[in-house]
Amino acid sequence: MNFLYSLQSEWLKTKRSTASWLCLIGGAFIPLIFLAGFIKDQRSINAYTSPDIWKKYFFQIWQFMSLAILPIGVVLASTLITQVEYKNNTWKQLHATPQRFSVIFMAKLGIILLMTLKFFLYFNIGILLSAVIPSLLFDHRFPRQAIPVAFFLAENGKLFITCLPVIALQYLVSLQSRNFLVPIGVGIMGLVGSLILIQTWQYAYLSPYSYTPLQIVGGKAIREKINIPLLSVSYFAGITLLCYYLYMNKKEKG
Amino acid sequence: MYGFLGPNGAGKTTTLRLLLGLLQLQGGEVRLFNKSLAKSRIELLRKTGSLIESPSFYSNLTAAENLLVFQKVYGCPKARIQESLELVGLGKTGNKPAGNFSLGMKQRLSIATALLHQPSLLILDEPTNGLDPNGIIEIRELLRRLNREQGMTILISSHLLAEIERLVTHIGIINKGSLLFQGTLEQLQRKQSQGSVTSWHTNEPGRAMGIFRSYAILPTLVDDQVLIPTAERELIATLNEQLVLNKIEVYQISPVKNDLESIFIDLVKST
Repeated sequence: MNFLYSLQSEWLKTKRSTASWLCLIGGAFIPLIFLAGFIKDQRSINAYTSPDIWKKYFFQIWQFMSLAILPIGVVLASTLITQVEYKNNTWKQLHATPQRFSVIFMAKLGIILLMTLKFFLYFNIGILLSAVIPSLLFDHRFPRQAIPVAFFLAENGKLFITCLPVIALQYLVSLQSRNFLVPIGVGIMGLVGSLILIQTWQYAYLSPYSYTPLQIVGGKAIREKINIPLLSVSYFAGITLLCYYLYMNKKEKG
Repeated sequence: MYGFLGPNGAGKTTTLRLLLGLLQLQGGEVRLFNKSLAKSRIELLRKTGSLIESPSFYSNLTAAENLLVFQKVYGCPKARIQESLELVGLGKTGNKPAGNFSLGMKQRLSIATALLHQPSLLILDEPTNGLDPNGIIEIRELLRRLNREQGMTILISSHLLAEIERLVTHIGIINKGSLLFQGTLEQLQRKQSQGSVTSWHTNEPGRAMGIFRSYAILPTLVDDQVLIPTAERELIATLNEQLVLNKIEVYQISPVKNDLESIFIDLVKST
């Protein structure tokens, strides 16, 4: 029960926050570009000739998302949510409330995960709207294939799991550093470095930042060679434990 | 009401942070309500409200939303949000984000946060920082009322004795991490009367000291002026008469300033 109240309290802090706006803008960005392209060319999703129109569209749109917007969005959201206490000088107030430190730690992590889910939700709504709106606008026939809900959920689930190591690592750095630029710098360097390594080094998958792009653009070969979800979960568990240890043993709590 | 005094950098904030468990103890034990903070942290924090140093609030949220954040974790009734805001004069701030508040309003919001769950102990670290004179008087009145009507124990820190001497009943004076004085305001005032001296400016301080000694008074010489413990005015008149009879020119007899502020400064300087 305490955890739920703590979670509610943390969720309230994201109201009108930069992280919240980024989540909406980041989630809507790529679908809006696709929508604008359809409208400009007076086309709709029906122009796709594949028998699996939805799957093709899904992967095409996710390709852009997984390479940049999603990893950067996750880095920014994790950092901004954690740094809200440094920015507002509120760690001392939060740590003087009658809550266990472990509850505060888990509630904050929970909010970052929920915010990432919200990002996924906005993006998926965006995917559907960018497909549906042009069809209605130009009175095109809607694809005959049913929307593969189970497939959408499964692929979203896998991609969400690939974000976990980045979330844990950003959470760790953000909790340790008062300076907002440090976690952002670590995140951006990790992402850019991983994107370069994916092209040039066979062990690029060792980087916790590499899994989201690898899941979409890594190809079948890499997915057969390594178990991306398992590696992601392992990294997440390991980094979260380290993060918890460092947080609990921090000498100064505000 | 306990006034915790000390110059900047004396260790006031560090002590208050230790009291709230925000800093790891290097030794010893913190006890509040006769219970160990380490063993009963959550129970003790439920009874404690605090404002440490600069105001802390979420700038993207309104005043009411800020209190809602803490209402959830304290589990107090929602009605307390408006009550606390009214108490500090922020009842009508509407949808204005707290980030757009003036410094005084931000300070009041932090005090409202500290009061939200009606704590038995209120710890305020320099709560009048940034407030205008009217704001300072209002906050002083509010604290008096909380103490009188709700029986709230208030620990208030400051680097200015004048700011809190009319507010508190007990005083602790700290400097460089050591407690130099702790007691009631009366005890400090007694220290003041014990310590007061009269300064004599004459052309022959050496001979003047001899005359004072013949009256069983212990004089001290500071910057060519003779200091003696403040005596009855009749004795001062007699001493003056004796000096004049002994052909000593008396230029000035004056009490040395020794109010509470001077005692505070002397205590702090002596460390």
